[in-house]
Amino acid sequence: MNLYAYCLCAELRPDALDAVAGIAGAQVRVLWCDEIAAVVSEFEGDAVKVTREHVLAHERVVGRVLMQMTPLPFRFGTLTSEARLRSYIETNESALRAQLARVRGCVEMSVKVMRQRESDESREVRATQVKIDAQPAAREPTGIGTAFLVAKRRALVGDETAQAQAEETARWLTNQLADVVRAEQVSVRPSSALLVAAAHLVERARLAEYRERVRCACAERGEIHFLTSGPWPPYSFSQENP
Amino acid sequence: MMTDEEFESEQLELSLLETLDHVLTRGLVLAGEITISVADIDLIFVGLNVVLTSIETAHEVLGARAQRGLDLQQRALTPVAPEAAPVSDTEGESR
Repeated sequence: MNLYAYCLCAELRPDALDAVAGIAGAQVRVLWCDEIAAVVSEFEGDAVKVTREHVLAHERVVGRVLMQMTPLPFRFGTLTSEARLRSYIETNESALRAQLARVRGCVEMSVKVMRQRESDESREVRATQVKIDAQPAAREPTGIGTAFLVAKRRALVGDETAQAQAEETARWLTNQLADVVRAEQVSVRPSSALLVAAAHLVERARLAEYRERVRCACAERGEIHFLTSGPWPPYSFSQENP
Repeated sequence: MMTDEEFESEQLELSLLETLDHVLTRGLVLAGEITISVADIDLIFVGLNVVLTSIETAHEVLGARAQRGLDLQQRALTPVAPEAAPVSDTEGESR
């Protein structure tokens, strides 16, 4: 029988996990290792299937802990044994304590910045531009290789523009929220529909201020689309493998 | 116009996508002890990058990429008029 690991935390009231079902309906319990609590449940099998029910069960248990205090969540699908889990906590105790102190009293908030969908008008303008670009210029050499390289160059210039736009947006977002977040993790993804994905570690007491600041920032940049969500357990701030 | 029911359903999907994005790609890792299964195939590592977009937008993006690929292919295959064609793109390099 394996143990499914949900999260680690520093303190937990005994009734914190009452009536919360774990993966496959298993009973959730706490395994104490010195002063660090591991929230686990029994699991029969060698792999956890990625299903809506399992994912929501994982998040439900970690979310229940978050209601009381901020945990360090394990990634979905972490199966282990009691001996291995204890060994992991003992071996990494100081690093885990430091991580717990870092997230204490905070939650994770997520901001995703996406490209605004093109309007019909701008799509027409772009389509016309593409047609114009496709016409070889009078003095432009038209060899097969040259045409290929010219087209390649155009694609690269487009990619560079997208990269620059995404980086500028990430910097702008960082500046807007710098004084209301304790830490941030930002990834710039200009090649996808998603321009920037940012995770912010925000003190619970400053959540209202953070939300207001995000609302103002979104209003300022009407040309891009924002998707905000949270509060989450600090998944993005528990990534380092101690 | 989107009905309340459709809106609620879209919000639920979005919420599940956000949850997946968090629980599958982030969090503490106990080295070598994450084994999950997708469609009965066991995976040790999942590199999931959830793109939050509507199907319609995804089709537009993918369609534009495919079109760009076709354009490049067509240009590469189009015969060039003899008077406009250089002898070779690398003629200056021949020895």
